[in-house]
Amino acid sequence: MGVRKHSNLASYALGNVLKYRTRSVAIILALFISTSILCSVEFIREGVVTDVSASVDEGPDIILQKLVGGRQAPIPDSWMGNVTNTAGVRTATPRVWGYSEVGSGILLTIMGVNATEYESMSGVVGTDVLETGRFLNETDYRKMIIGQGIVDIMATSAISQQIHVGSLLSLITFEGELIEFEIVGIFDSDSKIYSYDMILTDLKSAREVLGYDNSTFTDIAIWTNYGTDLNSVAFRLDTGIGEARVLTRDAISDLMLKAYTGRAGITALLWLVVLLAVILLAFTASSAGSEEARREVGLLKALGFDTVDVLEIRMLESITLSLLGVSLGISFAIIFDFIFGAPLLAGYILGWSLVLLPGGIPLTISVSTLFTVYAVGVIPILVAAVVPSWRNAITEPDVVLRGV
Amino acid sequence: MTSAIRTENVWKTYNQGTPRQVDAVRDITIEIEEGTIAALGGPSGSGKSTLLSLIGLLTRPSRGKVFLRTDEVSGFSEVFRTKIRRNTIGFIFQTQYLIPQLTATENVALPLLCTDISRSEAEAIARKRLISVDMEHRLDFTTAQLSGGELQRVSIARAMMNNPQILIADEPSSSIDETLTKELLNTLRTMVNEDGITVIVASHDPLVLEWADTRHLLHDGQLVKDG
Repeated sequence: MGVRKHSNLASYALGNVLKYRTRSVAIILALFISTSILCSVEFIREGVVTDVSASVDEGPDIILQKLVGGRQAPIPDSWMGNVTNTAGVRTATPRVWGYSEVGSGILLTIMGVNATEYESMSGVVGTDVLETGRFLNETDYRKMIIGQGIVDIMATSAISQQIHVGSLLSLITFEGELIEFEIVGIFDSDSKIYSYDMILTDLKSAREVLGYDNSTFTDIAIWTNYGTDLNSVAFRLDTGIGEARVLTRDAISDLMLKAYTGRAGITALLWLVVLLAVILLAFTASSAGSEEARREVGLLKALGFDTVDVLEIRMLESITLSLLGVSLGISFAIIFDFIFGAPLLAGYILGWSLVLLPGGIPLTISVSTLFTVYAVGVIPILVAAVVPSWRNAITEPDVVLRGV
Repeated sequence: MTSAIRTENVWKTYNQGTPRQVDAVRDITIEIEEGTIAALGGPSGSGKSTLLSLIGLLTRPSRGKVFLRTDEVSGFSEVFRTKIRRNTIGFIFQTQYLIPQLTATENVALPLLCTDISRSEAEAIARKRLISVDMEHRLDFTTAQLSGGELQRVSIARAMMNNPQILIADEPSSSIDETLTKELLNTLRTMVNEDGITVIVASHDPLVLEWADTRHLLHDGQLVKDG
C-alpha cells in the first residue's frame, strides 16, 4: 500500500483529534499545564546551574570566614599573616561584603576588595569582564564598578537616570547617610547572580558604607598554587586557624546548587504528579475501559484495517495531542520566564532573600532539556494510548465488538 | 452452482476451560451457494451471530473448518484473513456499529480508508452509495441525527463499499418497521440479482426467513433444519 493509505490514516487520526474534542482538550490542557510548570522551573534551574558554575569559576578557590558562636563575625587583620603563610596558598586577599541601596528600595551587593590583589588573579575579575570602563586602581577611593542590573534599575526608576562610566551615584550607608561614588566600570560578566546587582569598590569605601571597623573584613578570598590539592590546603587552614570556616570552591558550588535545585526538584515532583494524571487520562480515554474506543478498534479490524493501521492511527493521534500540549507548554514557559521574568516561581526557586532585579534571573534553554521534555511528554502518552489499542487490535474483532 | 461458503463440523467455544465455558456453535456443517440469499434462523442465543462471525472471519472456529469457495480460510493468518475481509466481505451489524462522531458519508467511506484510494475519492464513492439507498438528504448528518431506518441504510451503504462477494447481515430488520424491512430486502435482492453477490442473513423475523432462498435453523448452537 502506498502513500495515499497513510495519508488517509493520518487524516482519520487528525479528524479524531478534532472530533473527540473533550478528550483532546483534556489531554492537551493537562500536558500544557504540566509542561509549563516543568519548563519554567527547568529553564531557571539550568540557568542557575550555568550561573553558579560561572560565578564559582570567576571566584576564589577557597573562602575563609570567621565564626563566633556559630555566627559569622568580622575577620581581624591579624588573620592575613596566618593565611598567607599556610602551605599551598598562592594569594589571599581580604574582602568586605554587605548590602546597601541607591534609594530605589532594592538591596544591592557591595564588595570591597584590594584592587591590585584582586585584579592580579588571572581569570577572576579583570578588564575582560568589564563591558566598559576600567578596573579599580590601588589608589581609588569612592570609585566603583557596577553590574548591568544597576544600570537597568536606574534607567527604569522614578527619576529615570541613565548612568554610565563617569556618572556619580550615591549609596546609603549603615547610618542612613549618603556617600557619593564615581562609576569607573560596568561589569559584563557571564554570571548574572554574581555580578548583576554587584557594586565593586575599594576596602575603605566599602567599610564606610557597611559599618565595618578599620582592619576588619567579611571574608578572605584565597587562591591556591597550581597543582595543589585544594582539600589539603583547606584542611590546613581549618586546623591552623581557630574559629575559621573554610569553604572550598566545590563546597560553595554544592551548597548553591543544592539550595536552588532542591526547590526545583519539589516543583518538578509536582509536575510528575500532573504528568501521571495526564497518562491516566490518556489511558482511560483509549483503553479497554473506554468502550467507545474499544468498539472503534473492533469495527476498524472488521472492516479490513490491519493491526498496524490501527496502531498508526492511534500513534498519530497521541503524537499530535502530546506534541501540541508539550509545545504549547514550552512556548508558555518561554514567555513566562523570558518575557515576564517568572513571577513568584523565580523567587521560590532562587530564594526569597536573593535580590532579584528585573532581568536578573539566570535562564537557559538547552536542546537536551527540550528533548527530555518532549520525550517525557510524548512517550508515556503514546504508550498509554497505543498499548490498549494494540491489545484490542490483536484480539479477534468478534470478541472486541460483541464483548464475548 | 458453486459453493460460496461452506462450514465443516465447526464448533465455537467461548471461555474454553473455564467454568463459564459455552459452546455457542456445535458441529455445524452448511453450504451456501454463490449468488443466493441464505437465512440463519432460530431464537436468541441459538448461535446465529456466532456462525456469521465464523463465516465473516471475525473469529476462528474452535474446531472444524470454514471454506470460502474452495479455500480453507479458518487456518489462514490474521493478516490474510483481514485482507479477505477488506476485499471480499461486507458486514451489516446488528447494532450497526457506526462511529457517532462521523457523518453518514464519513462512516460509509471508512472501509476504503485502509486502501490506496484517496479519502476524497472514498467519500465521493460513499456519497454515491448513500444516494443509492435514498440517503441523499442525510449525507452530512451524524448518527445521532439519523433514525433507526436511516442508520440501517447507512450500514448497508458501508457494507457495499468494497464491492463484496459475500454480504453478511446480522438481524438487519431488528431496528426497522415492516415497510422498511421490505425495502431493505428488495435492495438486497437487487444486489444479488445484479452483482451476483451471496447474502447470509441471521434473523428471527419470519418475513426475512420467508424471503431467503435457503433457510438454516439453529437451536442451542446446533443446526436443526437445513435447506
